[in-house]
Amino acid sequence: MTTDQSDRVFEGIRIADFAWVGVGPLVSKYLADHGAEVIRIESSVRPEPLRRAPPFVNDEPGLDNSGYYADFNSSKKCASLNLQHPDGVAIARRIIAECDIVTESFTPKAMRAWGMTYEDLCEIRPDLIMISMPMYGLTGPWSMWQGYGHVLQAAAGISHLTGYPGEEPIGTGVAYTDFLVPHFAASALLAALDHRQRTGEGQNIDFGQLEAAIHATETMVLDYTVNGREQQALGAGHPEHQPYGTYQCAARGDDDDRWIAITVTNDAELAALADVAGEPSWSSMDPDALDSAIAAWTRTQQAEELMQRLQNAGVPAGVVQTPEDLRNDPQLAHRGHFWMLDHPTMGHRAYDGPSFRLSETPAELTKAAPLLGEDNEYVYKDIVGMSDDEYVEHLVSGAFD
Amino acid sequence: MTTQTAAGPLAPFRVIDLSNELGQLAGRMLGDLGAEVIKVEPPGGDESRFIGPFRGDVVDPEQSLHWWTFNNNKLSATLDLTSARGQELFTRLLDGADFLVETCPPDAAAALGLGIEALRASHPALVHTSITPFGRDGPYANWKATDLVGTAMGGLSSLCGAPGRPPIRPTASQAYTQASAQAVVGSLVAHYQRTKTGTGQHVDQSMQEAVTFTHDNASPTWDIRAINNSRPGNGREIGGYKSGQYVYEAADGYVAALSYGGLFGLTARQTIEWLDHHGMAGDLTSDEWLAKLDATQGILIPPAGEDGDYLNQVLVDFCKQFTRAQLVAEAQQIRNGWGIVHTPGDLLENEHLAARDYWVELEHEEAHVTYPGPWARLSKTPISVRHRAPRIGEHNDYVYGNLLGCSDDEIAELAAQGVI
Repeated sequence: MTTDQSDRVFEGIRIADFAWVGVGPLVSKYLADHGAEVIRIESSVRPEPLRRAPPFVNDEPGLDNSGYYADFNSSKKCASLNLQHPDGVAIARRIIAECDIVTESFTPKAMRAWGMTYEDLCEIRPDLIMISMPMYGLTGPWSMWQGYGHVLQAAAGISHLTGYPGEEPIGTGVAYTDFLVPHFAASALLAALDHRQRTGEGQNIDFGQLEAAIHATETMVLDYTVNGREQQALGAGHPEHQPYGTYQCAARGDDDDRWIAITVTNDAELAALADVAGEPSWSSMDPDALDSAIAAWTRTQQAEELMQRLQNAGVPAGVVQTPEDLRNDPQLAHRGHFWMLDHPTMGHRAYDGPSFRLSETPAELTKAAPLLGEDNEYVYKDIVGMSDDEYVEHLVSGAFD
Repeated sequence: MTTQTAAGPLAPFRVIDLSNELGQLAGRMLGDLGAEVIKVEPPGGDESRFIGPFRGDVVDPEQSLHWWTFNNNKLSATLDLTSARGQELFTRLLDGADFLVETCPPDAAAALGLGIEALRASHPALVHTSITPFGRDGPYANWKATDLVGTAMGGLSSLCGAPGRPPIRPTASQAYTQASAQAVVGSLVAHYQRTKTGTGQHVDQSMQEAVTFTHDNASPTWDIRAINNSRPGNGREIGGYKSGQYVYEAADGYVAALSYGGLFGLTARQTIEWLDHHGMAGDLTSDEWLAKLDATQGILIPPAGEDGDYLNQVLVDFCKQFTRAQLVAEAQQIRNGWGIVHTPGDLLENEHLAARDYWVELEHEEAHVTYPGPWARLSKTPISVRHRAPRIGEHNDYVYGNLLGCSDDEIAELAAQGVI
């Protein structure tokens, strides 16, 4: 299905995307997948780190072969530009002059050193919207600190709340805030873009990732500021509900790591669980004993089949799905979550689409991730307006490395 | 500091919020962005007012910290949507609204006036956002889900926890958070389109699908290598390659770092120098080790096996000797992005957040309460945390009187009939 380009939400919006790794690229992906022209600006001299991170197709490392990078950069273009080159910053400013939005996620000194702060760039593009997304914000004593999503989840208190009771704060197994704060950043950016559409006024957005991530700690802050209580990690558990946990199921083939989440939030669900198990006494059993009884029972059950039976009886339950399970999930298939796109070097690959469905202007992943520098001629000649001679001159001088 | 702040970017717009705990953050984020958010709750109060913890641990629908956290910046109007009169008022409320955010189970939506097609026909300019466990249609559409079922079915729990032990979830609900925050993005994409065309649309947000966003690189890793990243405990797994610890115990708590403290990849050399400066680099200064770690610079695949175990042990021994603050400050000096594993108390006392004037105090009848501050700083149209969560029906007079034009007598009659 191809949408008429003129119907795409962000048709005509152009973004210069200087951001790296997770947060920034995932913000611009929302816009690219809904029709914006997103130009990734990267360099082979100091490559975007995800281009060097696995998984690689055929396990062959290469800047145009990383699935990690690809998944976050669907529907985008890429121009290569070495900002350390004597002409680099001047060329970057010429790109920005043709853009509506600048996104970046460096520590604040980088854009200052290049003379590319919001104030600087407003001189060439007065209605610019710029979003800076450093870990700790543009100001303050930690503003120059570096970090990563799996470290920031710890700084934000999420790791403190993630682990087995009484044990070390292991956090999630992923760089969690990389997959959390982009929604907040994108919301701020889209609201600013709408404001500009209505008023003509651009603005600067100081997006400190830490300050957004704290909003994902539910009642942790107020329980402390009101009750003086430090909430603790409860494994899979819930402070108010039991049973509420993950239980091991029977092996599937030689895979003996199959689990199901079973949660009960009221008496009706407890009765339904007891009914499915054929154990009427469960309705009145001591919670810890019940937990053990459920675990013994599920060990004999196939996870998928048990999920169906519990859900049919009205018990909130679900398989602990692996990445492989998700690719076979009928609900995600119904929603068309995965997009299969052809990449010049990586081949026919699955990409994650946005998780919401717009009834009239749905997302469309228009192409696979860009090769490094794939769109140089288009960006430098058609957008920036370089002549053939000037383009070759910069190419030879290494400005496009 | 003046109390008069500029309006947020969504100040011209009104939101009707019919969300339970699955979607309450969405309405609040729209309120943070400046919209007028009217939480419509049943007479007697919304079910989420009974979610704990409570102030002083006393169960009271006006003292739920869950309610306070997710409903500040909102107004409250009570309304019985199951009555004919309630439906009529609801329709009139929607006539003056720009957004509707609801979490109604798909099989109950039509009866409550929340059918997608019916609303498209009656309110074509409305952005109608549904947040449901699995989406408004499809084979699982009418299944039930809690937060844990969301983190399980969406794939986060398979990546969370220790090998051989039960998969877990963050104890603060992340499936709800992800669904709500992504629903705001979807709503604002639709809103931007409406600004261009005048036409609204339906936004169908699935909690399960929202959780799939959290997979890091697990999705392409399965696609490309047919390997399931799995729960790594206190570790990392990138592209199917297992890596070392990333949380290390310091003398006074925990620090978080790149795997192996950054002793591979681009930061390896300076990290070894740092440890060596403290006389704790072990064998890592040998030519053999330097060559081994230099080889990891181009490709971010971590060392494994005995080499990995050794790197890990060097870091474990090192970190125990120093405080969190010293470790992180020294690591940052060599551009190695360590951080402190904050407890709630640490965060509230954090000097950086204080310097940025992050925390906000809101006035309640009972106390002044400290809340997290704006999640982004917009220079012209600031996000703001303006007022506490409403009491049950606190704004009925404003909503039914000022907005809908009901007389005082009519409002009293509606209350007497139990409609509001």
